[in-house]
Amino acid sequence: MARLILIRLALAVPILLGVSIAAFILVRLLPGDFAQTAAGVTDVSAATLDLMRHNLGLDRPIWAQYLLWLGHALGGDLGTSFATKRPVTSEIFPRLAVTFELTLIAALMAMAMGVATGLASARLRGRADWAVRVWNGFILAIPNFVVATLIVLLAGLYFPQIGIFNYTPFFTDPVANIGSLLLPGLSLALAVSVTVSENTRAAVLEIAAQDFVMVARAKGLRPRSVLWNYLVRNALTPVITVTGLRVASLLGGSILIETIFAIPGMGQYLFDSITSRDYPVIQAIVLVTAAIVVLVNVLVDIAYIRADARVEM
Amino acid sequence: MSEIGLLPVDAPATAPRPTARRAGYWLIATGGVMLAVMLIVTAFGPFIAPYNPAAISPDSLAGISAQHWLGTDSIGRDVLSRLIIGGRTTLFITAIAVSLALMAGLVLGLLSGYMGGIVDQMVMRALDVVFAFPVFLLAIAVVAALGPTIPNLILTIAIVYTPILARVVRGPVLSVKRWDHVEAARSVGVSEVRLVVSHILPLVISPILVETSLTLANTIFTVTALSFLGLGPPPPDPNWGGMLAEARQFMELAPLTVIAPAAAIVFATLTFIVLANGLRDMLDVGGQR
Amino acid sequence: MTEPLLDVTGLTAEFVHRGETIPALNGIGFTVAAGEAVGFVGESGCGKSVMARAIMRLAPEGSSVRLGGAVRFQGTDLMALSEARMRDIRGSRIAMVFQDPMTSLNPVMTIGAQMADMIRRHTGFSARQARARVLELLDDVGIRDPQRRIDDHPHQFSGGMRQRVLIAIAVSCEPDLLIADEPTTALDVTVQAQILRLLMRLRERHGMALMLISHDFGVIAGMVERVNVMLGGEIVETGAVEQIFAAPAHAYTRALLDAVPRLDAEGRQA
Repeated sequence: MARLILIRLALAVPILLGVSIAAFILVRLLPGDFAQTAAGVTDVSAATLDLMRHNLGLDRPIWAQYLLWLGHALGGDLGTSFATKRPVTSEIFPRLAVTFELTLIAALMAMAMGVATGLASARLRGRADWAVRVWNGFILAIPNFVVATLIVLLAGLYFPQIGIFNYTPFFTDPVANIGSLLLPGLSLALAVSVTVSENTRAAVLEIAAQDFVMVARAKGLRPRSVLWNYLVRNALTPVITVTGLRVASLLGGSILIETIFAIPGMGQYLFDSITSRDYPVIQAIVLVTAAIVVLVNVLVDIAYIRADARVEM
Repeated sequence: MSEIGLLPVDAPATAPRPTARRAGYWLIATGGVMLAVMLIVTAFGPFIAPYNPAAISPDSLAGISAQHWLGTDSIGRDVLSRLIIGGRTTLFITAIAVSLALMAGLVLGLLSGYMGGIVDQMVMRALDVVFAFPVFLLAIAVVAALGPTIPNLILTIAIVYTPILARVVRGPVLSVKRWDHVEAARSVGVSEVRLVVSHILPLVISPILVETSLTLANTIFTVTALSFLGLGPPPPDPNWGGMLAEARQFMELAPLTVIAPAAAIVFATLTFIVLANGLRDMLDVGGQR
Repeated sequence: MTEPLLDVTGLTAEFVHRGETIPALNGIGFTVAAGEAVGFVGESGCGKSVMARAIMRLAPEGSSVRLGGAVRFQGTDLMALSEARMRDIRGSRIAMVFQDPMTSLNPVMTIGAQMADMIRRHTGFSARQARARVLELLDDVGIRDPQRRIDDHPHQFSGGMRQRVLIAIAVSCEPDLLIADEPTTALDVTVQAQILRLLMRLRERHGMALMLISHDFGVIAGMVERVNVMLGGEIVETGAVEQIFAAPAHAYTRALLDAVPRLDAEGRQA
């Protein structure tokens, strides 16, 4: 098992490298001259521009530039923001924390909703099953930004006293902070909850047919006991891993949700930096986001390996 | 944002084929009707639309009325007309982009799967890198890099969705390659092209049809989301995402300006989801995303 | 004559599948006296497992079963009981050991936890009392180093040890009747004998009645006093074990006996 885990970790390395290369190239494709944009001011003398180019290392071959950047990045230095002139790492970090919190809340909500509907669908069958599946199919057709906009509309029309755009940082007021992330989290969570629901249903149906569930019933245990300790606990492993695999889509969706709800996370930061052509920032965000996705996928794979070990041996 | 997958079929032990098939028929029929409606409306768009979508009028944020069936937006433009023309643009981009992605995916998947070995490995690693990026992030980055015009949007979508289609194609190719009768045919001297066409393609068609429907649904997502962020077709082309974004400013005054594009987006997405599930049920493909 | 512990009369079972009715048990009847060991022999598909589950009223998940007849246990007809009352009986008065130890334990619970939950269900034991009882039981069934093993997960046990745990679970609440459905079929030959000996020892200690179900006459012999031979959902022959062995009346019984490799057979072909 340890060997399998090491192999999986090893596989992640070339992918991360590829990701870094892709991020590097992507930014080089953006329109506009790097040095010019770094300078910011339009009328800069050619000599100054040349000097800037030299300082930024732009006169070296591209592979050298890449290695230079990569080296710095591995050491934690992601460059300096064109817009604020501050280190990108320190700019990204707090925003990353915000997005992380939003994503986590969304993931938890998605799991809660998905497990509930999936369980109902699997255990109650008949009408409940049909209702859940229709609901799922419909929810899947509503993009998360449409959900978010509709939520804002509903709140504005019928609950004007609820402040929607009142994001509060965590350390200022934890309760308000979490409260302000609930509706944004819900917008993100709905689509993911469908996947969780389907997987829960399938998992529960499969587990209910297993021998150890029959044994549990033969022991005379109460139905609720069987449900939670034997069915749900075994279904949770696939559910959590499936949610983990959905991190990519949660991160992608957070860009839109953060914009709509005015939440200062990475998504909004990315959008702003694209508009303001802040290339080091764009590069860093793309790299960090993709790296997170790769790492979460690796964790999910490791979880699968461990779960398999338990069941198969 | 590549959220859309398939609704599960019951395990074969409980649902006999005929029921799944029947459900499939119904779903495809429904989806087909919805698709037909969209196509007709958008094809005849310019003739059906009561107003010029860019026509400003002083009658802004109006509700439902005889002159404006779906009201007007903040600068007096007719919502219904914008919806119809916007649909044209959205569906046009979607159709072309997905076709490109399909062709590229077929070629890539066939090549990679068929040639196997080092080529296959390289292609798969490259695709893994692409898969590491959230679809939407990638789309934003590419559109930002190339500039938000319609051709660039089409190209972006095509690039972003080629990998998943390539992967779906590659699967059956890999398994068919090893089949005995393919080996036999090859040893007798049947040309590689004929092998591909007569043995592999038929196997690939079913999952590809299903996956393409899903991709169409996801593309509607991506296109409307991009235009929501302002990275969509530039004005004066109306588009659903852009309409939604613009409507946010005064949405309490005229909720219809939000609801109309929202409903259109949901309708279009639902069409392809229904079709995908129907195809899956009918063709009995192992549905997974 | 005292009433038998278990008195089954006219037990029928039908599976209903998509409108079709498939019969599994055709009106079988037998008795088990308190403390008695009775064997049930037949090949797969004869309905012996269905019978065991019918007595416990444990329908497999996802299928519907129609039961008929009467199952009188200690004077009460189990068929007429509510599900809630049946749950009280399962585990505490009638317990079952299943065939495949590899899949019969919950992979995500510790052995101790899934033994204790049953004990606490049927008694008022506290967590600590239940744990002490679990340790006793593990020792009884021959698990070495129970203090350490009690917190292990099933995948850390071998097949034979898992079956011991399952047997421990079954006897933990001192049931009056233990039903063992092919308890050794999935085990290595060397382990089979140990498990059978364990069952015998526990039965003597607790004074339980035992219903031992197997397709293998060799397993049954030496463990039980009486045997019922099953075929096609019916009991085709019944009698004392020595008598069946010496003079089988039914052709099928003869075929079953012939299938058992015997050291004292003089050049008989199977």
